Amino acid sequence: MYKQIVITGFGGQGVVLAGKIVGQAAAIVDKLESTLVQSYGPESRGGACSAQVTIADGPIYFPYIKNPDILVCMSQSGYDKQHHTLKDDGTLVIEQDLVKPVGDRDYYAVPCTRYAEEIGHKMMANIIMVGFMAGITGAISLDAARSTVEKSVPKGTEEKNLKAFERGWEHAQATLKGRRHKAAGKPGVVA
Amino acid sequence: MQEEFKIILFLCNWGPHVAYQTLQDQRAEIPLEIQMVRIPCSGRITKALLFKPFEMGADGVILMGCTPGSCRYGTGTEAARQNTADTRKILNLTGLGENRLELATFLPDKSEALLNFITSFVARIRKMGKSPVTPRPMLQAQDITEDNSEAIVARHDVFACQDCGKCTSACPLALAGKPYSPRFVATEIIAGRANTPEVLSMVNACLTCGTCYERCPSAVNFPEFIKDMRGYYHGRELTGTPAHGGFFQSMMRAMTSEKLVPQPWQNLPESIRTGRQGPVLFYGGCAAYFDIFFGRFLKVRTRRIIEDSLRLLNFFDVEPAVLENERCCGHDLLWSGDRENFLRLARLNADAIAASRAEELITACPECAHTLGTEYAKHGVELPVKITHIHEFLEREIDKGAVAFKPMGLSMAFQDSCRQSRFNGQAALPRKLLQHLCNDESHLVKSDAASPCCGNCAWTGCDAFSKAMQVQRLEGIGQSGSQVLITACPKCQIHLQCAMDDVVRGNDLKTEMMDLTSAIAKSIYWE
Ligand code: SF4
Ligand code: SF4
Ligand code: SF4
Repeated sequence: MYKQIVITGFGGQGVVLAGKIVGQAAAIVDKLESTLVQSYGPESRGGACSAQVTIADGPIYFPYIKNPDILVCMSQSGYDKQHHTLKDDGTLVIEQDLVKPVGDRDYYAVPCTRYAEEIGHKMMANIIMVGFMAGITGAISLDAARSTVEKSVPKGTEEKNLKAFERGWEHAQATLKGRRHKAAGKPGVVA
Repeated sequence: MQEEFKIILFLCNWGPHVAYQTLQDQRAEIPLEIQMVRIPCSGRITKALLFKPFEMGADGVILMGCTPGSCRYGTGTEAARQNTADTRKILNLTGLGENRLELATFLPDKSEALLNFITSFVARIRKMGKSPVTPRPMLQAQDITEDNSEAIVARHDVFACQDCGKCTSACPLALAGKPYSPRFVATEIIAGRANTPEVLSMVNACLTCGTCYERCPSAVNFPEFIKDMRGYYHGRELTGTPAHGGFFQSMMRAMTSEKLVPQPWQNLPESIRTGRQGPVLFYGGCAAYFDIFFGRFLKVRTRRIIEDSLRLLNFFDVEPAVLENERCCGHDLLWSGDRENFLRLARLNADAIAASRAEELITACPECAHTLGTEYAKHGVELPVKITHIHEFLEREIDKGAVAFKPMGLSMAFQDSCRQSRFNGQAALPRKLLQHLCNDESHLVKSDAASPCCGNCAWTGCDAFSKAMQVQRLEGIGQSGSQVLITACPKCQIHLQCAMDDVVRGNDLKTEMMDLTSAIAKSIYWE
């Protein structure tokens, strides 16, 4: 198993923390190897920024990622810059309200910023995205993701963050459920 | 020892009675099981009268009328045919079996055929065995509970009434022009005049809608007070006449017999998936019975609500278990004062629900949701499951995302269910669901406050004023330009349809009605 994940967005969205949670969940809880490369610089002031996470069941010799298996885009500029790097059979995950994908490649979308606002904490959009990405791709296990979220967020906000995580996870389950129904030719209740 | 069977023969005064008399004159051997009741016309025996003997322990019922064409009043035999056909269907659902009831018609000179018929009917019933319904003895004076009107007044702190009259000015019955005043009821009962015919009829007429309670500055919980007062009257056999001859109360009382095995899930569409056991239990309610009872003249299809709820559960990958022999929740017995039988039903239901080992019970009926969720516990019957109304389930699942809605494209009015919106305080929930169905602000239901009552509750006290208030409500909906009336309770559909079918008004009041659950089922899809 060798999975390369790139998460992009703009500074302030918590892209790096999201990457850190994914990597730690894989390494500490799921007992795999993982690396994280984060891009600093002007990005952290609001420009495009990204986190590159590699997860593997053996040693990782090169942490940089050229063509990810999973590309998570939380902003349009991140998407514009990166979408052509995604492998042909890779999985594209986007922030539904902020990214308008081009072409006819399949993708998974979650309105995580809107959901975060509903929960009352806009900065938890990244945690929702982690939940969604984990639910869709299965790159990290549910237990690993949950316990890492709990340990990685500021004290006192654990409960809220877990709720955010679950929101994303459940949206993923609903999305997959919907795809199963559509594949079975049953998109509606009566049809 | 031979078991004793009881078969009621409703015998029309005219044609068949002559034949019957001939048998008596000839000292023919009329089976001893037959208990004859002479009636003026077979067409006058309503479904309620056809069912009543079963509630009281009869093993079979024969309705005997004149041969078609020889009815003295023209339509008697035809009415008898329809009533018998409907009641037979309901006997099937309740688990009594349609073969316990039969309609037969005879010409005056057909005494031999009549005797043959009776004899073979008796044989059939003997073969079917005793009725599974155990008749309940009438309440005796010594059984009457200690409850008295002073205690009830004290329990609900009706003394707190300030005599302000806010309740009366909000009460839909008073607004419909009925000489009716909750304030008056309160003060009369406080003054110890509970047993006057006037107060009795007012207690019986109350819709228990809860509008007055919303307005009362002293928080006098009028519906709860009325509920206890009806129990008090029932214990003393002072209760007023229920609507539809008490058919539904009768049916529910029959269901308190443990040996009865109702079959409410017959004819579910094949595409609906239900299971035998699982964490989720779906509780249907009485819609199937209503559809048979009202099918002929109101053409309601309230069973759709149950079917669409099940389809929606399937849509979200839930294959609920159902109680194969589900009984009524008892709401109407409780609210018409028959606490004793309510409790019997509640205990049977609680056992069946516990045996299902489900964790969550979902129902589409607001009365079931309120009764199972609140009243059972209040009466000391604990349920080991979480009670969820289908609207709550839908909200929970829709919130997870990935679904979208085809807008209805119609402007909608909404009829609140008293039990959901006022008793359970959930008026916001159906409104939130309704929003999904609108793509245009102007289609939204305007009012946040719960709408007035649909005109009847628990099949008690329906009269010309109930009709007047329903007509007012429907006229209001017509004037608002709404194209469809969304409902949240099967009974609202029945009672409002009843007003729409007013022959004098022709098509004036006709409005399309659709249950909220069905509307969502029509519109939702995976994105
Ligand atoms: S519960 Fe409804 S019908 Fe009864 S008195 Fe109050 S407002 Fe009137
Ligand atoms: S609103 Fe309350 S306080 Fe006022 S008359 Fe009615 S019951 Fe009494
Ligand atoms: S409104 Fe019509 S259907 Fe409802 S109880 Fe009255 S008569 Fe019966």
